[in-house]
Amino acid sequence: MAESHIDFELPVTADHVGRFAAAVGEENPVLHDPEAAHAHGFPDVIAPPTFSVTQIFQVPRDERERRLGANLDYGRVLHGEQEFLYNRLPVAGETLKGRMRISKDFTKEGKRGGSMRFVTYESVFTDSDDEEVLTAFYTLIETAKDPGVGT
Amino acid sequence: MSQVRSVRLADVTPGSELGEVAFGPLKVDDFVAYAEASGDDNPIHQDEEYARAQGAPTVFAMGMLNAGYLAHAVSDWFGGPQHIKRYKVRFTTRVWAGDELVCSGRVVAVENGLVKVTVEARRRGSGPAELDLPEEETAIVGEADIELPE
Repeated sequence: MAESHIDFELPVTADHVGRFAAAVGEENPVLHDPEAAHAHGFPDVIAPPTFSVTQIFQVPRDERERRLGANLDYGRVLHGEQEFLYNRLPVAGETLKGRMRISKDFTKEGKRGGSMRFVTYESVFTDSDDEEVLTAFYTLIETAKDPGVGT
Repeated sequence: MSQVRSVRLADVTPGSELGEVAFGPLKVDDFVAYAEASGDDNPIHQDEEYARAQGAPTVFAMGMLNAGYLAHAVSDWFGGPQHIKRYKVRFTTRVWAGDELVCSGRVVAVENGLVKVTVEARRRGSGPAELDLPEEETAIVGEADIELPE
């Protein structure tokens, strides 16, 4: 019996933010230097826009499958789309709370025959005041034919 | 790209191109660093032999690494990541070690104080010989909403 959602926490540390920023070539000081972040009105360095995707990888795929029950065949799955809606970016030193659920699951006929199934995992991140920080939509596409490998 | 200048709403013109920023050429080391920082430890992005066993000619970049570079470009065009209110990407092809990732964008409109942009990242390079890829092709299409000071 699948669960309706998975609750999670995402601790945001300056070290993790710095490593993630460096991995996408970011040198903007608001991501690396607390003084620069203060100058822009932030209490500490802020996380890059795609940082919250790290939450997806905290929950192993098998656990996500077992608990939310999408029943995807990962030999045919690609990361098709990703979307983020921001009230603000995460700030180093806080621990975000979140809830992940399947928000969309539909099948569409492909242009060259064969259907594609779209499954979207929605993760809502809130802060210690229960204010919403951001929402992420992680969309996997399960193709009808074996495309080789996923992204 | 280290110089990020502030941008005001009045500086933005619908229809204008945002320029072109190239990252890379990407190296397997970049995939390893992103795996470590993001937690995406799928060996298909790091382990040649594993990638081949899965039917890929070699390792390729995580989609979110490419999306991260593109978000970096958007951040720099608009004075910092804190101005991005929405970011959406669709992945259209893989990006291989040795490829450059060329990011571009265009202002579509200014609506209710939000700057609406379309963005794109293209892979540029010869790619794995087995695949006979075009020298340049679109790897990500996306859009973003940006909030700027008056």
